[in-house]
Amino acid sequence: MNIPNVEKQSMKLQTKGHKRHRRRFSFLEGWLYLLPSLFLFTAFLFYPMVRTVYLSLFYTDTQGKPMAFAGMENFTALLSSSSFLLSVKSTFLFVLYTVPVGVLLALGLALLANQKLAGIGFFRTIFSSTMGMSVAASSVIWMFIYNPSIGFANRLLTWFGLPEMQFLLDPSTALIAVAVATIWMNTGFTFLILLGGLQNIDSQLYESAKIAGVSTIYSLRKITLPMLSPTLFFVITVSMINSFQTFGQIDILTKGGPIDSTNVIVYSIYKDAFINYNIGSASAQAVILFLCVFLVTIIQFKLGERKVHYQ
Amino acid sequence: MKKKSLFAIFLMMVMLFAVACSNNETTGSESEGNQSEGPVEVVFWHSMSGELEGVVKEVVDGFNASQDEIKVTPIFQGTYEEAITKFNTVAGTKDAPTIMQTFEVGTKYMIDSGKIQPVQKFIDEEGYDMSQWEKNITNYYSVEDTQYSMPFNSSTPVLIYNKDAFKEAGLDPEKAPETYSELKDAAKKLTTGDQVGFSILNYGWFFEELVAVQGGLFVDQDNGRTGDAAKAVFNGEEGQNVFNLISEMYNDGTFYNTGQNWDDIRAAFQSGKIAMYLDSSAGIRATVDNAPFEVGTGYLPIPDGVERQGVIIGGASLWMASDIDEEKQKAAWEFMKYVTTPEVQGDWHLKSGYFSINPAAYDLPVVQEEWEKYPQLKVTVDQLKNTIPSEATQGALISVFPEARQKVVSAMESLYQGADPKEALDRAAEEIDRSLEAANKKSGS
Amino acid sequence: MSIGRKIILYTLLTIAGIIMFFPVVYAFMISFMQGGEVLQGKLWPDSFSFENYINAFEKVPLLKYLLNSIIVSTVITAGQLILCSLAAFAFVFTQFKGKNLLFMLFISTMMIPWEATMVPNFQTIQSLGWLNSFYGLTIPFFAMAFGTFLLRQQFKTIPIELYEASQVSGISRFKFFLTVVLPLSKTSLITLGIYCFLTAWNMYLWPLLVTNDEKVRTVQIGLKQMQTQEIASEWGVVMAGVMLVILPTLLLIFLGQKRLQEGLTKGAIK
Repeated sequence: MNIPNVEKQSMKLQTKGHKRHRRRFSFLEGWLYLLPSLFLFTAFLFYPMVRTVYLSLFYTDTQGKPMAFAGMENFTALLSSSSFLLSVKSTFLFVLYTVPVGVLLALGLALLANQKLAGIGFFRTIFSSTMGMSVAASSVIWMFIYNPSIGFANRLLTWFGLPEMQFLLDPSTALIAVAVATIWMNTGFTFLILLGGLQNIDSQLYESAKIAGVSTIYSLRKITLPMLSPTLFFVITVSMINSFQTFGQIDILTKGGPIDSTNVIVYSIYKDAFINYNIGSASAQAVILFLCVFLVTIIQFKLGERKVHYQ
Repeated sequence: MKKKSLFAIFLMMVMLFAVACSNNETTGSESEGNQSEGPVEVVFWHSMSGELEGVVKEVVDGFNASQDEIKVTPIFQGTYEEAITKFNTVAGTKDAPTIMQTFEVGTKYMIDSGKIQPVQKFIDEEGYDMSQWEKNITNYYSVEDTQYSMPFNSSTPVLIYNKDAFKEAGLDPEKAPETYSELKDAAKKLTTGDQVGFSILNYGWFFEELVAVQGGLFVDQDNGRTGDAAKAVFNGEEGQNVFNLISEMYNDGTFYNTGQNWDDIRAAFQSGKIAMYLDSSAGIRATVDNAPFEVGTGYLPIPDGVERQGVIIGGASLWMASDIDEEKQKAAWEFMKYVTTPEVQGDWHLKSGYFSINPAAYDLPVVQEEWEKYPQLKVTVDQLKNTIPSEATQGALISVFPEARQKVVSAMESLYQGADPKEALDRAAEEIDRSLEAANKKSGS
Repeated sequence: MSIGRKIILYTLLTIAGIIMFFPVVYAFMISFMQGGEVLQGKLWPDSFSFENYINAFEKVPLLKYLLNSIIVSTVITAGQLILCSLAAFAFVFTQFKGKNLLFMLFISTMMIPWEATMVPNFQTIQSLGWLNSFYGLTIPFFAMAFGTFLLRQQFKTIPIELYEASQVSGISRFKFFLTVVLPLSKTSLITLGIYCFLTAWNMYLWPLLVTNDEKVRTVQIGLKQMQTQEIASEWGVVMAGVMLVILPTLLLIFLGQKRLQEGLTKGAIK
């Protein structure tokens, strides 16, 4: 990761005599700002994570208490199980279906809603409204939309003279159907963030571009996207992480079926931990998921932050 | 200047801690207050949502008003799975409930958990007459002559059909198909235009029932009733009958796949997409009320030439927690006895749609009147009464039941993708064997 | 702007609006339907009566739940905004050893699946005696990597010259934080605030686990309480509940939008 030039600049300013003193002070101060967060993270995130790693190395009883040391056995069992590998595949496919489309859609909406038009506030509210719907409530609505006999989706198909489909019951379409519902649920938030980013861009830049007689596409590429890159980077990272952890809509719409086609890792963890009481296996899966997301995020930071333009 | 800012952050931390500590004290004193004189508090965790929660509250209010020594507090704790997770974590601490409602497939799990007190103890202590309870219901929750929990909301599956569609298809609307060949025949006639003949929810429970009604077992060791089951046996002849039926009908176009959501299959029925399906007895009244056509009910279909054995009870039962004051347990037992009186059970049956544990309730005039209005309800009770007690109809007892159901569902789903019924069943059985083996290893050590 | 362009824009906006809003409208329609209507696949209710809404209030103490949700969400939002902005500030404007490592550590907490944290956290809350209290519902969520990350991205766009100038004129870092960084980041803070509020508003499993009675329970539990499995759910009532629950959130987004725009016009003078 690159060091923001803030520090480089501020270092230059400091006179040599003060340097050491200031540094130590800065060190302390930096940690102090972080302390409240760190304290809570330790208690409510790191501690459970360490515990999960610990449990993943044990056979556990149905109450979730460790019984005998298993070493890597929970992991090797998972990696050789076809259903877990299917879960991994579904998870990555799901991320692939939801993130690019979701971000592009939200970006399109944000560009549209960034125009100075009368009544634009109304449209902005509509576009971000999906943020207000809880996953549980939206999933129930989507369940009705996808319902094979009464759902709106099939009516739309018949209107256009197409054959009816069983969106959630066909293993080849179920994951895509859940992805569509998910994109809808996430668009509100992604849209809002991107709109905020767009509005932060100095309007003078556009005005001078206008004076220079630059085309809309060109100013989109040369002004909007670079200026929006920190926000975009953020939105992509967060969408990806959220997508990896999708749970609620799967629980309500498909319960991981049909034939495990939507059994993403998080749902599989949930089933093992809360329904089947295989805490050891669930913990091992949680560790694997953590590592997957961690890896993807590191790659993203390495590739992404280089391209991100900070003012 | 800088010191000031540091100080501000420090202050925030201190406040955070102060908040934490002060709260500790308040909760501490509160719990002590509970121990003092007054009625005995019995906390009752349940998973009854929607309409049912209201009915549970009525039952509890009735009990609380009937005496002033005991006060029962019903608390909704989410789905059965969520409630068990929570119970598991707090059992043995002061936050644990006295009465806990758990679904039927959690029975073995609760017995093995060691965190519950079998109600048999209280039955023995006061020589309570168990014979007034419906044997076909209590059987499920009794293992080796010990009654572990008290059945609460109990239901069985029934065949539901659209009488109007029957008339249109030239079938006798008063006669539900009883055998597989009658079912297939009816389904064929009912499949016209947009309408499909028959459907079963992709839910393991219906498969278990269709196997049990033929006298088939789910697992070995007499369905896990005489020892820890080690092998799934549902892939025998009985299970194959069921899977062949589904597969054949599906390929014929007379069976409609409705997924695993209860509301999806009901929507399919209500909108005329399917003409017959299997539903829980508890859901019948709402189905009758909601349908824009006449609704009929019938027994579970059986293969031709097989003797009908009856149904397994589904639903949930009430468990008593161990590691709790004897006084509270006794109070909980009083509540349980109250719940099983014919009057309360009659009321419960009418309002919730679940069975009465106490068959005497069915003779009450209020129940008889309602049955005249909803003859469909009586069919479900008769089906249960006619059940022949055996290991098959007692239901399987395994700790990995929820997982087993998922495997069966996957196998059912694979039928719609053209899988071979026998292979699909065998694969599910194999997977469950593995889970059983792992589970037995756990409880063995 | 030419009229042609305007027409195109409004058409696009309307189409997008309809698609985005359809599920909400659908839910609104269902909220007026009686028993069978929903399952028969109707899109338009037979009659618009408020029976379902009255029913929703009677079935669960929705008003109490709404109030609890507002308290919980507001407290979490305030806590997160304070903690996240402090942490983000440290990541951008202070220099210390291990900063990048620490930042990665922060980000990594976003990847911890909640299934893994649920039970141990529940035990922690139980041993602290925070069950069934607002502390257990709020404090675990005060720290949020996501918010820190968002604000870090925002703080990084603040011109360095401003920081240098403040250093030269001897203003303390904390004062710089309060008087320069925060006001400049108003947009992001409001956005984050809305996000925090809504996330907290939509929490279900955690509040269910740590609460035991109506005193502190939140609306999402109420919604779940209205649904059933084995017995047909009264979807009309459930959707009436959903409508009542999203009303405050939609209002918040709408007002937030207004505030956002105001903040922007002011910020533009910088």
